[in-house]
Order: sequence, then C-alpha cells, then structure tokens
Amino acid sequence: MSECHFGLFGLKPAFELDLTELSARYREMAKAVHPDRFADADAREQRLAIERSANMNEAYRVLKNPAQRALYLLRLQGCDLALEATVQDPSFLMQQMHLREALEEITDWPAVNAFKAELKQLQQAQEQEFSAIWQDAARMSEAERLVRRLQFLDKLAREVRQLEERLDD
Amino acid sequence: MALLQIAEPGQAPKPHQRRLAVGIDLGTTNSLVASVRSGLAETLPDADGAVILPSAVHYQASATVVGAAAKAATSQDPLNTIVSVKRLMGRGLQDIHQLGEQLPYRFVAGDSQMPFIETCQGNKSPVEVSADILKALRARAEQTLGGELVGAVITVPAYFDDAQRQATKDAAKLAGLNVLRLLNEPTAAAVAYGLDKQAEGVVAIYDLGGGTFDVSILRLSRGVFEVLATGGDSALGGDDLDLAIAHWVLGEAQASTDLTPAQQRSLLEQACAAKEALTDASSVQLSYGSWQGVLTRERFVELIDPLLERTLKACRRALRDADVELEEVDAVVMVGGSTRVPRVRDVVGRLFAREPLTDIDPDQVVAIGASIQADVLAGNRSGDELLLLDVIPLSLGLETMGGLMEKVIARNTTIPSARAQEFTTYKDGQTAMLIHVLQGERELISACRSLARFELRGIPPMPAGAAKIRVTFQVDADGLLDVTARELNSGVEASIQVKPSYGLSDDEIARMLTESMEYAGVDKDARALAEEQVDADRLLEAVQAALAADGLALLSEAERRDIDQAIAQLLQVRAQSADAAAVSAAAKALSVATDEFAARRMDASVRAALAGRNVQEIEE
Repeated sequence: MSECHFGLFGLKPAFELDLTELSARYREMAKAVHPDRFADADAREQRLAIERSANMNEAYRVLKNPAQRALYLLRLQGCDLALEATVQDPSFLMQQMHLREALEEITDWPAVNAFKAELKQLQQAQEQEFSAIWQDAARMSEAERLVRRLQFLDKLAREVRQLEERLDD
Repeated sequence: MALLQIAEPGQAPKPHQRRLAVGIDLGTTNSLVASVRSGLAETLPDADGAVILPSAVHYQASATVVGAAAKAATSQDPLNTIVSVKRLMGRGLQDIHQLGEQLPYRFVAGDSQMPFIETCQGNKSPVEVSADILKALRARAEQTLGGELVGAVITVPAYFDDAQRQATKDAAKLAGLNVLRLLNEPTAAAVAYGLDKQAEGVVAIYDLGGGTFDVSILRLSRGVFEVLATGGDSALGGDDLDLAIAHWVLGEAQASTDLTPAQQRSLLEQACAAKEALTDASSVQLSYGSWQGVLTRERFVELIDPLLERTLKACRRALRDADVELEEVDAVVMVGGSTRVPRVRDVVGRLFAREPLTDIDPDQVVAIGASIQADVLAGNRSGDELLLLDVIPLSLGLETMGGLMEKVIARNTTIPSARAQEFTTYKDGQTAMLIHVLQGERELISACRSLARFELRGIPPMPAGAAKIRVTFQVDADGLLDVTARELNSGVEASIQVKPSYGLSDDEIARMLTESMEYAGVDKDARALAEEQVDADRLLEAVQAALAADGLALLSEAERRDIDQAIAQLLQVRAQSADAAAVSAAAKALSVATDEFAARRMDASVRAALAGRNVQEIEE
C-alpha cells in the first residue's frame, strides 16, 4: 500500500495530466476493487476492498484537482508544506488583498460570474507556471511559492461557491 | 447445501445456483418489491395483482394489517393506523414536533432518544413499524419466487443522514432480511433508466416522493454509474403539497386549526385527492364542515411554488457541487409519484431548459433499479456490466473548541471513503478526550445533527498540545460511518460503530428481536450455531472459488498446503461440532490463512484492470 497516488493509476508523477484518461482509469480500477465485487467474499476480504476503494477514491480526489495535485507532488519530494506559514511573496500578497476585497463586495450574479472568470484565468496562469517550473530542475525552489498561490486560489474558489449558495437563498 | 458444491482442489466448483434476491423501495406513501427473473427486472404483485403496497400499518388488538386495508382505516382509527412512518425514521422527539400537525400520533419516549408511538398493541418505534412493512414485502417475495431470499437491496433517499440509514438497516434486520446494500433512490432510478435506454453521459435524477426530495447528478459511462453530486431535503415531499392545500382550506373556511386526529386525517385525504384531480382538471371542489369552495390550478400553483423553489435550489446546488454546467446535462429523469403534478414538470423543465423524461413509471423505477443491483450483489450477474459509485450527501465532522464543526469528510465525497485528521489536547495532563461526531453543512454544531459521542481514555499525561490524536472516519458502501480515535505516542485506541443518538439502543433491538414471533421458541444456542454454519459455508464456498480461479498462479505449494489444511479443519468442525464458538474459531483460522492470498488477488485484479486499459490505448 506504499504506492503513491499516481502509481496507483499506473501513471508517473507529473503535473501535466490528461483528466479524461485519469477518470477512465479510475472507473476501470473501481470495477476491480469496489466492495460490490466482493459481496460474496468473507469479512476480511470485504474490509480489504473497502480500504482499497477508499484509498483509490482519495487518490482520485487529490489528482483531479490541480492545486491538490501540485501540493501532493511537493509532498512526494519530501517537502511538507506548512500552509499557515508567512508567505514571502509580496506581489501576490497585494493581489490576494485585492481579490478578497472584490469578493466581499459582490452582491449579484453578474458580478459573481465575472469574478469566477477572472479567478479561473488566474488559476490557469499559475498552473502553467507551476508546470514549467516542475519540468525544470534548476527552478525547483520556486515551486513552493507557486503551490502556496494555487492553494490560496483554490480556497477562494470554495468561498465563491459558498457565496453562490448565499445568493441563491 | 453449499457443502455439496465444494470440489477437489484444482477442480472447478459447480456454477452458482441462482440466488433469490430482491430490491425493495421502502417509500413514505408506497412500498414495492422487485426481482430479476429470467433476466428481466420486474415488480412483484400481491395475490390481487397489485404491485404497490401502501406504506400503512394498522395495529388491531389481535392482528397487524399492512397495506391497502390499513390505509383504508386511517380516518376511522387514526391513532392505531400508522402512515408516512418513514418521516420519523432516525428522528428524535424534537424533530417530531415539527411534523406533529401531519402525524396525529401519541408519542412517548423510550430508553434512547427515539420516539415510540402509542398503539393498542403497545408502544411501537418507527423502526418496528417499518419492519412490519418489510415483512409483508418479504413474505410476498418468498411466496412469488418460491424460496428463501439470500438478501435484499433496500433503497433510501440519497439525502438520508447516517441516523436515518442506520434506522432503515435496523428495520430490515428486524424483518429478518439480510441487507445486501442500502442504495440511494435516485441512483437506483438511474440504473433502471440507464440500462433500459443504453444511456451515456450526464443525467440528472429529480426524485420527489411522498415525504422526501432528492436530486442526483450522475455520469454514465460503459456500465459505471458515477454519482457526481447529490442534494435534497429529507423532509419535503408530496405530503407537504397536501398540507399546503389543507392549510389553505382551513384559512378559507376560517376554521380552527385545532383538529381531532380523525378530522386531520380526513382533511389531508381530501387535500391529496384534490392535488391528484388537478393533474387533469383546471379546478376542483372542496368542502370542510359547512364551508364549500373551489381550488383552481392557478391557486394551487401559488400554494406549492415556494415548496418547489426549495427543490430547484437543491438542483442548482447539486449542479455546482458536480461542477457541471446546465448545458452539459444530457437528460433529466423524473422519479416519484409527486412528479405527476404538471407544475413540477414545468418548473424542472424550465430550470434545465429541456423536457424532463416522464416515460418510465415514476412509482416502480426505484424498486426495479434496486432489484438489478441485488442481482449483481447476490452473484447472479457479472459485476463487469454494472458498477455504482455513490457519494455521501452530507459532510461528516467533529466538534472542536468553541462549539464549531470541523469537517473531516466533505459532502459529495465518493464512498467508500476513509480520512484521518489529527487533534491535540488543550490542557496539561489531560488524559481523556470527548469525540463528538456530527453531520451537516453548518459551522455551528448546534445547526448540525449529532450522530454520536464517545471518549478516548487513558491518554498518558503530557503537556497541552503534545498528544497527537488521530481520528479516522470510514464510510462504507452503505454510506454508514465508523469512527476510530488513536493517540499516536501511546497507541491508546477507542472506536465506535456510530450508533446514532436517535437510533435504537442495543437493549431495545435485543428486546424487539426476542419479542418478534419469528424467533419465539427457537433455542438461542441453536440459532447461534446455525448462523455460524451459514457463515462457514459461505466462507468455504468463497475460498474454493478463489482457489479455483487464482490458486495456481498466486500461491506457492507450501502456502497452498496451509490453506488446504485450514479448509479441511473447518470442514471437519463444521460437520461434527455443535459448538458455535468452535465453528467460528475454525472459520477465523481459515480466514487468517487466506489473508495474504486475498490481498494478492486484489492486487492482481488491479493490475489486470490497468493492463486492459493499456491494451485499449494501443488499439485506439
């Protein structure tokens, strides 16, 4: 069970990932290990199937999301990121403040949609940069900074979803 | 006689006999049972040819009547005739007061927080009432299919929380049913629809039943039914549409809202009839006491629109959670009797900007889907054709400092799921920690459902913050939760199979089982032995099948000898011993002997799954 999330799906650790291919592999593997396939088996085998499936579901959840995938890649390198630590990233700090203020001022759907579009662009830009850095051994030290940025944007996306729920009330 | 099927090592066992398994839709208003016969899934009728069993139980002094006859007694004997009991499943007395105006029963408290209903046959818990409905369906199935059932798939609303699911499983146990799986109703409907129409792509299931509402968004791909998100309201259904009409009548008639149980029942029956009539008619006559009036369809629409808006909100949220845009939805399927109301079809069609599909029977589709899954789980059909990947509907978490809920598993996470979170002590020398398990979306624990509390004791005294307590949540394929807490420095452990605060206490279950007629007069030891023997037979059969399939490829000769020895030992004990504990011990020994083999088999099947994938890529 020491296999990493990528290895579980027969993939090499990498940031670039074909999501269609990943989900196809996930579905094939789910067919092999899901507890439904072991309904007839004894209790230990059933428990094993639950564990394997849970493990696979968790791996799939992490790999699907670019921010989580980047963080996981860093962890595989032995770098356990303390996310609460102060970020030495002044330019991004300014942008964070701007984004937060903008989010707080939103009261209608057109504004939400505009904000989501902007957020998506920002995420894609950071993902592209991370991808480039990850392929360049000389720039590995910058990866940590980008992962923190991606984490922040991911959290912001979740807050947008909460805002959408409030607006829908 | 599973023993007859055991073959010499290396010889293939005889093919399975077809095992009788059913799917049961245990509904608020109606219940159904279905089974796959000669490859065809169909609902099973009673002696009069009716497939629908009204979910009503009439307790009389000397008899228990279930179904249409019981439903007919609701107005004459409202206190002893229990309807819509599903709305009480897994609920506490507190929740019940909110439903009080619809359910005229006299509630009394039991040992646990679960409410009991006073009847002429004594106090009945909602679990027992549900069990009586299930017993009627089980009897019908065994009569029709001509044999004992190996098990049943029982459907529950996708939005049922852990307590409601556990209560349903307890009811099945009381009815003497082996639960193969609790299956979410919209997922069951998706299976029936998907297999029938050979559908692929993104499908939305809108399921408005008698007392519950669910919406699920699924991706169908080559026999895999992957639930992307689900949402709903486990206390919103056709009953509430009736109630809206009843309120309107009382307002128009300027009548007192303080009704006798019989008045209440008859008013609700009239309201339900009016709702059904308005499907075709543009207006309907109503009377109450000396008042007479007309309810137009326009007025009816105004009355129910606020309720329907709640369902639409749940749909929008499910779409967001699924990360699916409206345009990506390929089909919208209507399920549940309440979707016969034209206004429901209108508003759903408008939201999804497409005509919802109403050509499958909204009453039967859930039971049919459940029977297909039962057929798979009973081993009658290859699992390659069909796999359901479902999610938990509500987030699971723990109480942390300040009365806040810390989520451990987020809603719409695919099950089975396991996640761990680490916590620490906040006082120097703290030796115990209270683990309070919650379910819900809100931050304040008071707004979440409390599922269970247990204590981790015996933590060695340490400075505050030094202890590392890992709490692991595990959700199985039924959507039921197990929680384990472990202090990592000392290895002290505590765990709980979450028995919800609103569930039955173990004593209550034991009492009900002994009271139940089925087990009256049966010697306890004989029963224990019979159960162990059945388990041993199943294990033997499973191991033999596994050895026949993979024994040569995955085991060394020595390993194979060990397993064969354990099999021989179990066979001998099984044949000669009348001691349940001895049979259990021998079965356990075989189980341990095959542990490594089981793990290797699973690894091999994973490799095979990936290899199949790689071959396909080359071909494509």
